Amino acid sequence: MNDQEFIANMEELLESDPGSISLATQLDSLQQWDSLAFVSFLAMAHSKYGVRVTPTELRQCKNFADLVTLVEKR
Amino acid sequence: MATAKVPGVRIAGIASAVPATRVPVTAAAEIFGADMVQKISQSTGIEYRHLTSPGLCSSDLCFVAAKRLLADLGWEPESVEALIFVTQTPDFPSIPATACTLQMRLGLSTSCAAFDVALGCSGYVYGLWLAMSLVAGSGLSRVLVLAGDVASVLSSPLDRAVSLLFGDAGSATAIETDHTASPCLFSMGTDGSGWKNLLIPSGMQYARNPRDATTCIRQKADDNNQRSAEDLFMDGAEVFAFTIREVPPLVDRVLNAAGWELDEVDAFVFHQANKFMLNHMAKTMKIPPNKVPLSLKEYGNTSSASVPLTISTQLREEISSKSLRLLLVGFGVGYSWGACAIQCGPLVAPPVILVDQSEAWQC
Repeated sequence: MNDQEFIANMEELLESDPGSISLATQLDSLQQWDSLAFVSFLAMAHSKYGVRVTPTELRQCKNFADLVTLVEKR
Repeated sequence: MATAKVPGVRIAGIASAVPATRVPVTAAAEIFGADMVQKISQSTGIEYRHLTSPGLCSSDLCFVAAKRLLADLGWEPESVEALIFVTQTPDFPSIPATACTLQMRLGLSTSCAAFDVALGCSGYVYGLWLAMSLVAGSGLSRVLVLAGDVASVLSSPLDRAVSLLFGDAGSATAIETDHTASPCLFSMGTDGSGWKNLLIPSGMQYARNPRDATTCIRQKADDNNQRSAEDLFMDGAEVFAFTIREVPPLVDRVLNAAGWELDEVDAFVFHQANKFMLNHMAKTMKIPPNKVPLSLKEYGNTSSASVPLTISTQLREEISSKSLRLLLVGFGVGYSWGACAIQCGPLVAPPVILVDQSEAWQC
């Protein structure tokens, strides 16, 4: 999986400006990372990457690099 | 469980009823702000809900639907041999079973069996399975399944996870012997480990967490929503994860048991959880969106009534005039789930009925 493509997908999901997010960006630092975005991520991981992420795994993620690790687990 | 095959039974009719009061979700803008309400509405697909008022119960909505259905079918009330009332919002906290009061109100025979089934999102499919099995296995000829909830009342208005989600509705489904009917295929399941993800923690003296002076006090929770121990709690992410784990294999199981290909199904009538979830499932299961009827926009998530209400509002014309291959799928609180592959129609399907406060039972 391509990190840049993943970040672009996340920017779209979060309705953030292109280039505003990097792998090091902290999830908690983004106002858009709310409960709806949380579920949208679960859906995207499933439909785009074929991975069923559990909410418990997702809650442990701190930044976007952690999200990449999650969707690459399979 | 293995899939169950129920032969020799048909659905003769379906009627649904909702409270006359229709409220746009934008009414909550003063609580959450217009932007947040719009964002929630876009995700859930819910724009309006029909909401009950104090004293207008699930049973009243089901009663109105059942009266109309019996009249339209020309069924004498005395000919109904069993009544199953599916709800998680009964008339009385636990005693007596609401099904007993409905037997009296509908003028059914005292030799009619009547009982409640306390399931929500999966409840309609369970009720249908029970009713059809009673006809196929016990030789009854006519059974009514009444399924309804006034779930809008259960949530805190200050909890954005649930307060704009639930609408109120009741339904009546008439089941009867028909030796020419194709067998219906059912598959049900349960995973009680999800019990805490859709939960009202307290509210009764006898309950796991007995009611006391503090259980009704709304406080800010970890998720920043305000609710009390007597309000409905939902962990939307956990429920979503459960649904995408269990529902696609469930649909596959009943399709296989029925020997149907996906594209031979006329409509997949899912419990109307929310649009985001249903769209996601349709997409990942490769079901064309036009085969997934939605009643959410106008009625919200109507809990145990969502499947029959969706048939009454979205499939009425078709199913009144011809036979359809339907997949009915319920899933949620419990966790509990069930699906049914059924060849169904033409059947009696009156338009959805609006119910006034004045139609509440004057007991």
